[in-house]
Order: sequence, then C-alpha cells, then structure tokens
Amino acid sequence: MASDRASSNRPLSPHLQIWRWTPTMAASISHRATGAALYAGTILLSIWVFALAQGESVYAPIAGFIGSPVGVLILFGYVWALLFHTLNGLRHLYWDMGRGFDIENARRSAWLVFLASLVLAIVIVASGVSAR
Amino acid sequence: MTHKGTATFIAQRASAVALLFLVIWFLWGLSAHAGAGHEEMRLWLSAPTGWAPMGLLIAVGAFHMRIGLNEIIDDYIDSGMRGVFKLLNLFAAVGAAAIGLGSLYLIAA
Ligand code: HEM
Repeated sequence: MASDRASSNRPLSPHLQIWRWTPTMAASISHRATGAALYAGTILLSIWVFALAQGESVYAPIAGFIGSPVGVLILFGYVWALLFHTLNGLRHLYWDMGRGFDIENARRSAWLVFLASLVLAIVIVASGVSAR
Repeated sequence: MTHKGTATFIAQRASAVALLFLVIWFLWGLSAHAGAGHEEMRLWLSAPTGWAPMGLLIAVGAFHMRIGLNEIIDDYIDSGMRGVFKLLNLFAAVGAAAIGLGSLYLIAA
C-alpha cells in the first residue's frame, strides 16, 4: 500500500514539518491567539472598573502599575490585540458574506490587517504615554 | 462548531458586529482619558455616555468570548474533560461580567 502511494502522482497531504509561513496562515493563528488574549483583557478591564469603583486608595496602586514599563507593555499588547482581532474580524465577516475569499485578496488583506493594527497600536499607546 | 452550530455561529457574528462599535468607542475613550486620575476616570464612567457603552462592551464581550473559548475547547480538549472546561469558561465569563457591571452600577449610582 505504502509503495503504491509513493509511486503514484496523487498529491500527498500537507507534511507536519515541511511547510512555509503564509500571511493568511499567520492571520488565522493570530485571530485565535488575540481572541484568547482579549478574554484575559476583558477580565482585566472588569478588575480595573472594580478598582475604580472602590475608590482612590484601591485605584491608585493599579493605575501606578499600568503606568509602569511592564504595565505599558501589557496595555500595548491589549490595544494591539483589540485592533488586530477587530480588523481581522472584519475580514471574517466579509468572508461570511461570501466575498474576498480568493487567495490574492486574502493575502493582501492579511498583510494590511497586520500593518494597520501595529501602526494604530503604536500611535494610540505612544500618544497616551506622552499625554501623561 | 459542534452542537447547535447555526445558532452559535450567528450569535458569534452578531456579537462581533456589536463589539466592532464598542471597541472603537473604547479605544477612543482610552486615548481621550489617557493619564487621567481617579476622579476624572470616575466622572467619565458615571455619565450614561460612559457606563452604557462600557457596560455593553463588558457584557457583550463576555458573551462573545465564552462562545469563542468553547470553540477552542472543542478543538483542543478531548471529549472527557470538555464539560469541565466549558463550565469553568462559563464561570469566568459570568464572573467577569458580574464584577464589571456591578462596579459600573456603583460608579453610576
Ligand atoms: C472584547 C472584545 C473581544 C473578545 C474578548 C473576543 C474574543 C474572541 C474569542 C476568544 C474568539 C474565539 C477564537 C477562535 O475560535 O479561534 C473570537 C472569535 C471571533 N471574533 Fe472575537 N473577540 C472580541 C472582539 C471582536 C470584534 C470587535 C470582532 C469583529 C469585528 C470579533 C470577531 C470575531 C469573529 C468573526 C470570530 C470567529 C472567528 C472564527 O470563527 O474563526 N471579535 N473572539
């Protein structure tokens, strides 16, 4: 059986280790990763609102942490994940309407979503940091 | 998607459309209030134009993220443990929404 398969010209299934990155694949994986990150982000957002409701003494240390280098890094990750997942979510919704699913369009929109989310995240977080 | 596939699919897309607007509002609000102190943040969310979209973001976000994580659980967790993880997912999503909405109520009241 195995030799039959090897000698025939039928395409083999994708190999586990031999493949290359494509922008569409990266976008697909990132949609899931950012979705999971935003799950954590929503929990953090709730905790932030909770601290805000508790009063100055509870809020101040949390605000201080968000302003620290690690805090800004987490904030940047959250903002980028929001932007990427939202923009890439638009691609999903567009496909669900039955459009834009050809390879060329999918590849171009994947690049665009990575680029736009990164640029917007940098602009938003940098302007926020400089506003302090 | 597994059981009740179509309804879940539609719920995920409908919540995505709602979240699209809420996320834009949120990013704008973050930028507008970056660096603000406790008093100003509280003022922001005590107005209906603040607590309403923030409450929707947390509630609809919790709804959408629970559906999404259930799907991830279906993909990676074998069937024996799925129920346990989905229950934890439900608790986390409802818990996050309850803490967020309860706190917004305290801020607005
Ligand atoms: C609070 C904000 C959000 C959170 C916590 C969140 C979370 C998630 C999670 C955990 C998933 C599952 C990922 C997967 O199955 O691979 C998901 C899927 C999805 N999200 Fe979001 N999301 C948010 C906002 C948005 C927005 C604003 C949009 C649309 C513009 C969106 C569109 C989608 C779509 C279309 C899917 C399904 C993707 C698929 O079927 O492969 N999400 N989301």
